[in-house]
Amino acid sequence: MAQDPSRRPFPFHRVPLRGLAALALAAGLWASGRPAMQAAGDTGTIRGRVRVERPLPPIARRPTVDRLGMPEPRDEPDRYRSVVYLETAPQGAFDQLKPAHAVMNQRNETFVPHVLAITVGTTVAFPNSDRIYHNVFSLSKAARFDLGRYAAGHSKSVTFERPGIVRVFCDIHSHMSAFILVFSHPFFAVTDERGEYRIDGVPPGTYHVIAWNEGTASEPRPVTVTAGGTVDLDFVLR
Amino acid sequence: MAHARMRLFCRAIGLLVVLSSALAGRAAADVLPSQPITLLDGRLVIGGEGSVSVSPSDPGYFNFTDYNHNALRLVRLGVTAALSAGRHVTVLTEIRTENWDALRPYALYVRVRPWTRHAFDIQAGRIPPVFGAFSRRPYDADNPLVGTPLAYQYLTSLRADALPASADDLLRMRGRGWYASYPIGSSDGGHGLPLVTAFRWDTGIEVSVGDRMQPVSLSVAVTNGTLSNPLVGDDNAGKQLSGRVEWRPVPGLIVGASGARGPFVARAASNALPAGVPRDGLTQTAFGVDAEYSSGYWLVRGEAIVSRWRVPPVSAPFITSPLQAVSAFVEGRYTILPGVYLAGRVDHLGFSTITGSAGPETWDAPVTRFEVGGGYSLQRNVLLKLAFQHDSRDTVRVPTASLAVAQLSFWF
Repeated sequence: MAQDPSRRPFPFHRVPLRGLAALALAAGLWASGRPAMQAAGDTGTIRGRVRVERPLPPIARRPTVDRLGMPEPRDEPDRYRSVVYLETAPQGAFDQLKPAHAVMNQRNETFVPHVLAITVGTTVAFPNSDRIYHNVFSLSKAARFDLGRYAAGHSKSVTFERPGIVRVFCDIHSHMSAFILVFSHPFFAVTDERGEYRIDGVPPGTYHVIAWNEGTASEPRPVTVTAGGTVDLDFVLR
Repeated sequence: MAHARMRLFCRAIGLLVVLSSALAGRAAADVLPSQPITLLDGRLVIGGEGSVSVSPSDPGYFNFTDYNHNALRLVRLGVTAALSAGRHVTVLTEIRTENWDALRPYALYVRVRPWTRHAFDIQAGRIPPVFGAFSRRPYDADNPLVGTPLAYQYLTSLRADALPASADDLLRMRGRGWYASYPIGSSDGGHGLPLVTAFRWDTGIEVSVGDRMQPVSLSVAVTNGTLSNPLVGDDNAGKQLSGRVEWRPVPGLIVGASGARGPFVARAASNALPAGVPRDGLTQTAFGVDAEYSSGYWLVRGEAIVSRWRVPPVSAPFITSPLQAVSAFVEGRYTILPGVYLAGRVDHLGFSTITGSAGPETWDAPVTRFEVGGGYSLQRNVLLKLAFQHDSRDTVRVPTASLAVAQLSFWF
C-alpha cells in the first residue's frame, strides 16, 4: 500500500542511494501546508557544523597490474564535505528557482568539487583542465548522461531537470567520482573545510533538517525558524 | 546432441539475463561494491574482477587458449592487490582462477620508482608485457567484445616443447593448434602457440621511461620466456629482449611500435634434435604496430603483428624457416546511450608458405574473424555484453563457426 509521501521519512540513512527517489519526492512536499515565502528581512538562518566521525579513507585507484610504470600523481577529493538541507521546503520555494550555472572541474584526475549541491534547472559545466582525456557520465536515475571523451580546454554541460542524487564518474579513470545533489528548493548548503554550514533566507516555520555525507544521512532534526532569528544545529554522522 | 547443447546455451543465457535484470532493478542503489578495499592506512589496496562468459561449444577450437579452456566459456575470478612501501616501492599482484582451476599468480611484481620526480620505473617479477597494446588489457571491461584478437589467443600449430622434423609433419597439423603433436621432443599431444599470449605473463625485469602525461614513453624488458610462450622459470637458458615506444601526438591518439626476440624452443625439445642439426637460433622474432584513437563517443583501435619463428631443418622436405605469421585487427566502439555501446572487430591471421610433398601451402590455416556486439552497464562496474562471432578457416575440418556469446562482468 502506498504511503502518504508527506509522512514518509527521508530514507538516506537506511539505504544510502535509494534516497534518490526520496529526494525526488521532496518536490511534492513543498506545498503541504508550509508557510508561504516571505520577504528577505522576515527570514531566518540555520547554521551549524557537521562532524563526520566515520572513517572516510581516500578514494583509491583500482589496483590494476597492467601498467608499465607508476601511475601519475593525482589530487585527493575532500570526502568530508557534507550537504545540509531542509527535508521539506516552504510553500512557494519553487517560485524562487531560476536557471543557474555551476561548474564541476576535472583537475589532476579529480572532480572539483567532490560534492556539488544545486537546484533543479541548473546547468553544470564539466571543463577538462587536465592534459589527458576525460569522460563524464552518470547512470543515476535522476540524470543519466554520457558526455563522451574530450580533451583539455574543452567543456561540456548538463542541465539537471530532476531532483535526486547524481553520481558522476569518468569511464577512463575509475577512481574519479563525485556527487551532485539536485534539490527542488533552494534551502541547502555545502559545508566548508571546517564542516560549517549556513542556510540563509529560511521563512519562519518548523522544518526538518538533514545532514548528508557520501550516501549517509542523519535522522531528520526538527527546527523552528523565526523571523530574523538564527538557529544553531550541529550534526554528527557516524 | 546439437539440440541439447543449444538448450544448455539458451538456459545459460537465460540465467545471465535474469541475473542482469535483478541487478538492473537495483542498479540505482549500487548494490555491489564499486570502490577498491583499502587497508593499512591506504597502503594496501585490494580490487577484484569476476566474469562469466557463456557460449555454445566451439567444435573448431577457434577460441581455445589451450586444450581445456575456451575463452568464450569461461568463469574468471581475480583479486588484485597493491601494497605500497613508501613513495618509491609498490608490490602488485593479481591472483586468478579460470573455470575454478587452481589459483595462479597472473601478475606478481615489484615496481620501483627511484626518483619520485622522474617518470623512470623498474618492474621486476611476473610483469605486464611491453609488447603490443592488447596484451595489457587483462580486464574484461577493457575489451569491448568478448572474444580475444586472434594474435593474442588463436593457437597456431607450432609448439615450444615439440618440433616437426619435416614440412610434412608441420602441414599435417594445419588448423590443429589446439592439439598438435610432432616427432621431436615431447611425445604427448599439446596445444600450440599463439603469436602473443594474453592469458599468461612473462617473468623478468622491465624499465620504463616516460608516462601517459608525456608525448613519448619507452619500455624495455628482459624476460625468461617469449611472447608466445611466457615462463616463470627459464627452460632454454635464453632471454627474450622486448621493447616498446609509445607516441601521443595529440590528446586521444596513441601510436605504438613494439619488437621482441628470444629463443622459444624448450631445451628438452632442442636436445632431442638429431646430431648435426643446429640448436641455436631457434627464436621467435616479432614486430608490432598499434594505434588507438578516441574522441567523443568513439573509440577505434588497430594492431598489426608479424611474428617469425625459426625451426630447425631436420629432414626432407625441409621447412623453410622462418615460419611467418601476420595478424591484423581493427575494432571500434561507439556509445549510443549512457551505459550502452555497440562494438565490432575485424581480424585476420595469415601464415607464410612452405613446400611439402604435396606442394606449397601455408604452414598453418589462415583464419578470419568477425565479431559484433554491444555492452550495457547495469551499474558503473557491472557490464553485460552480448556478441556474435563468425570465424572462418582454410581447412576441411570445421572450416567455419558462428557463435553467440554473453558475458557478465563485475569489478571493484
